[in-house]
Amino acid sequence: MPLRLNKEKWGWLTGPLFWVELFAIGNIGFLAVDVAVAHAINAFAHKAEYVPVAFSLAAAPLLALAMLIGGPLPAPRGLWPSKTPRWRARTAWTIGVLVGCGSILVGLAGLFFHLDSVFFEEQTLRNLVYTAPFAAPLAYTGLGFLVLLSRMVDARGPEWAGWVVVLAAGGWAGNFVLSLADHAQNGFFYPTEWIGVVSSALAFGFLTAVVVVPGNRPLRFTALGVMVVQLAVGLLGFYLHVRGNLAKPTASVWESFLYGAPAFAPLLFDDLALLGLLGLWAQATSRSDAS
Amino acid sequence: MSFRGLFIAVLISTAMIVSAFMIQSKRPHVEVKRPTADLVKANGKCAECHLHETSAVIHEYEMSRHNEKGVNCLDCHQPTKGQEPLDHKGFTITKKLSSANCQGCHPQQYDEYLKSRHAAPAWASVAGPGDFTAEQIAFSEAIHKGAVDRPAHDLTKIEGVAAVNKGCRACHDVGKPNADGSIGSCTACHARHVASVELARLPETCGQCHMGPDHSQLEIYHESKHGVLFNAQRATMNLKARPEKLSTSDMPVPTCATCHMSGLEGEKFTHDVTQRLSYFLFATVSDRRPKYEEGKKNMQAICLKCHTSPRILQFYSEAEGVVKSTNTLVKEAKTIVDGLHKDGLLTPEPFDEPIEYLYFDLWHYGGRTAKHGAYMGGADFVQWHGYYEIVSKLTELKKGAEELRAKAAAKADAPKAAEEPRKPGGQGDAASAE
Repeated sequence: MPLRLNKEKWGWLTGPLFWVELFAIGNIGFLAVDVAVAHAINAFAHKAEYVPVAFSLAAAPLLALAMLIGGPLPAPRGLWPSKTPRWRARTAWTIGVLVGCGSILVGLAGLFFHLDSVFFEEQTLRNLVYTAPFAAPLAYTGLGFLVLLSRMVDARGPEWAGWVVVLAAGGWAGNFVLSLADHAQNGFFYPTEWIGVVSSALAFGFLTAVVVVPGNRPLRFTALGVMVVQLAVGLLGFYLHVRGNLAKPTASVWESFLYGAPAFAPLLFDDLALLGLLGLWAQATSRSDAS
Repeated sequence: MSFRGLFIAVLISTAMIVSAFMIQSKRPHVEVKRPTADLVKANGKCAECHLHETSAVIHEYEMSRHNEKGVNCLDCHQPTKGQEPLDHKGFTITKKLSSANCQGCHPQQYDEYLKSRHAAPAWASVAGPGDFTAEQIAFSEAIHKGAVDRPAHDLTKIEGVAAVNKGCRACHDVGKPNADGSIGSCTACHARHVASVELARLPETCGQCHMGPDHSQLEIYHESKHGVLFNAQRATMNLKARPEKLSTSDMPVPTCATCHMSGLEGEKFTHDVTQRLSYFLFATVSDRRPKYEEGKKNMQAICLKCHTSPRILQFYSEAEGVVKSTNTLVKEAKTIVDGLHKDGLLTPEPFDEPIEYLYFDLWHYGGRTAKHGAYMGGADFVQWHGYYEIVSKLTELKKGAEELRAKAAAKADAPKAAEEPRKPGGQGDAASAE
């Protein structure tokens, strides 16, 4: 007997909105670990390096709390569910907006701090390669927009779905830059380092095409195929990074992972592929709703 | 499939991929073509942190020819055989660099240095042979007999560890044996991160050690016409010229390195600073070196770039005259001091009596200064800091020796006087009162 969900009770699980919100919470939370490891490389030389870690540790639980208070599906003002008391919906919405705005600010501030390491002193290709990864903090900005999006745009319409794909494409643009700059640091010593660059360019290209031509199913399916390939690329990258770190003997395994190939970085491919897939799903459902 | 969508997807992704390849192809060769991934990465990774910590190191390195040629931090800092590795921020580096690290790329320079008195003899003259291996001692002794297999300097015991560490070692470390089996450190003359030929050509660099009362080369140089001209024309000189291409147009005036090391206009440049020397000028009594003729010929080949043969021969003849006459004066002093030792008027212990310091100053300061002054064109150092010091101290030494002998004679006479019998009536007392 097939499993059937009670639509009234569990219907929120069947649409992309809840999963997008969960994606945002999970990502903001996990960034605490990712940033802590990254900033441990220079032993948190500047006090400001604690800010994103603290923000993540606070923001993820706050968003989860907002979910508990206002329900699993965030909504813009005027579209709050009638069953939820107004004060709870407003409180949840306010928490979400504050976290979203804060995340955008943290990301932009991080961008400037990272570029300030050497690139602002001298704008050279070398400094761009070896500066702190300037695109990395923009993950916060992207996630901040994602949090705000669900509180400012009706998730049932095509606009919301389009924006999810835009944000996923933005993530892939950032991932392309990160992949290019990070691997440039060791001069693309292994040819396999080009895989991430090429595949993230393809992901960005196809998601952008989906944004420009949103109603084309074959194109969406092709983009979906590209996203599935990214899942495999991410896992392959994770394996190669971990293998590289374990193969090179250092003082400790921790040091290998701290200063060696960033183990979590390739998983960004899987992460963004999931967001891309959510966006494509949202587009598909919003189109079918619209039709 | 929408053609518009497909076109956009392919156009954008292809443009990005091509851009990535183009950016990579535009990067300097040294940033991408290295034998290991770590060596590639080190190029900018080290600077990224060290610009915030020990930033001067980066700026010094940026001025270096090493940087120009794409040598990166890890090239020098990776441990060689016998060096203790240190895991540092994902790189395995060496705790302490030595000449062994430079030897990898500059083997000829290291080999030449190893044969010079800047190597083992420099360290042994302070600490003796104890820190060297038997092979190192044998190697150096074959070239510089008695320069390594010798006791530690007597003054080290008297002055103590603090003086040795902060004083003697600062210069004599140039020949200190390293734990990795190499000797010395090239940074003594070239400095660390700037690794500069220009620096090694400056008189001030040699003058870090070759100065002061016991070997006043820097002061002598600045008094000499060479020094005066150099100070006046320093701005016009190309001190960065490659050693193998150095010409008098780069350096029309010599510094220490020009005469003692440089390959001026086709001459062989060398890191063996003894190759162009003819006398042991540092010695108490200066004898000719075993390769006296060769040393003189090598040095005079450099002199010929600026001076005529008759002038050079006259200069050498006069300088040798100073060596001979100072030798005579020092020998005279030596005979006096040796006589005092022989007669038991001085203890066998070194540096425990004023007259020993007087004798040491006579040859170690006055004698050396006069000889170096003569060979480097420092007239004032030949005369007032040289001969005058020798003769005045020789006078003091003679007087001191006489007094010691008189004291000894008086001491020897005293017991005899005590043995004489006293006459009754206090006549003995009266006699002693007189």
